[in-house]
Amino acid sequence: MVEQKIAIIIPAFNEEASVGEVIERVHRQFPRGDVVVINDGSTDLTSEKARANQATVLDLPFNLGIGGAMQTGYRYAYEKGYDISIQVDADGQHDPAEIPKLLEPLEAGRADMVVGSRFVGESKYRASIMRRLGISLLSGVISIINRQIITDPTSGFRAVNRRAMELFVADYPQDYPEPEVLVLMGRCRLKIEEVAVRIDPRFYGESSITRIRSAYYMIKVLLAIFVDIFKRRPILKEEGRIC
Amino acid sequence: MLINIQIIIGLLSISLLLFTLELIRKKRLREEYSILWLSTGLATLIFSLAPMFFLTNFFSRITGLYYLSAAVLIIFLFLLLIVLHFSVVISKLTDRNKDLAQRHALLELELNELKKRTLSSSASP
Repeated sequence: MVEQKIAIIIPAFNEEASVGEVIERVHRQFPRGDVVVINDGSTDLTSEKARANQATVLDLPFNLGIGGAMQTGYRYAYEKGYDISIQVDADGQHDPAEIPKLLEPLEAGRADMVVGSRFVGESKYRASIMRRLGISLLSGVISIINRQIITDPTSGFRAVNRRAMELFVADYPQDYPEPEVLVLMGRCRLKIEEVAVRIDPRFYGESSITRIRSAYYMIKVLLAIFVDIFKRRPILKEEGRIC
Repeated sequence: MLINIQIIIGLLSISLLLFTLELIRKKRLREEYSILWLSTGLATLIFSLAPMFFLTNFFSRITGLYYLSAAVLIIFLFLLLIVLHFSVVISKLTDRNKDLAQRHALLELELNELKKRTLSSSASP
């Protein structure tokens, strides 16, 4: 079998403190992958730090948000003919040594997207009660819509194949995309699988979702998911058909 | 009573018209919107000149408008529609803006790689 081309997509917005080390760890622990950093309009040295660490850098002219940044990465990977794209966060909470676990279901053809979950199997992950409550509410709603158990809908540690990339080039949710993407995948009958991964505490800084904003986050995401169910399904550009 | 309101609406619509014309002159307004706002200004001007005609005669027979407040409600709904229309336009623009930014980033990378390649090939012939 021909070796598959793998892109490691790292969306980064003002992550100069950690992005270099994350790229370095990917190079060391998963040298097969080509590292692509999406600099989402950072005002610090994110782009320079990424370049200095031998990553391909896509500079967005202004901040699009995580969804717009990830879609840029998927567009790049799709156009460059990559077989698999893996999202790794720039804050260092995703361990590149865990990437092979994400690849296995894709390479076996069992799934179009593999999500690294903190809650499958034994987990050392500890979060506040409020956060766990929020995550289980989201996972309940999405599990019902998709008719499949999803334990960790907010995990950003995920790998996708070309079929999923083709969909993401056409349509990718913008603001808090991780849970919404799962619904989109379900509607387009693409297969999702979760695998257990270890998620480290962040190197630096805080989650982008603070306690005050998490209530707003929940409402917004639930509303977006609700709207998604009624949206027309996206048209895939390449084949001109509905997904 | 009515004459006061007539004067106020009349002055408002004249200033709306003048302001619209000024925006068109400065090319700050696209054609489709200039037509929209010019006709809005004209309509309110005509209304202020002869409100009794609209409130008592043929117009009220069609619309059932017998009070000035009802006319104000109509105008409010009209403005609401315009605002909704603008939200649609802004959404479309935001989407296109995002696509352009992404395309820009992809092309910039392509260009830089091309530059690097030509530089290295011309440096070592």
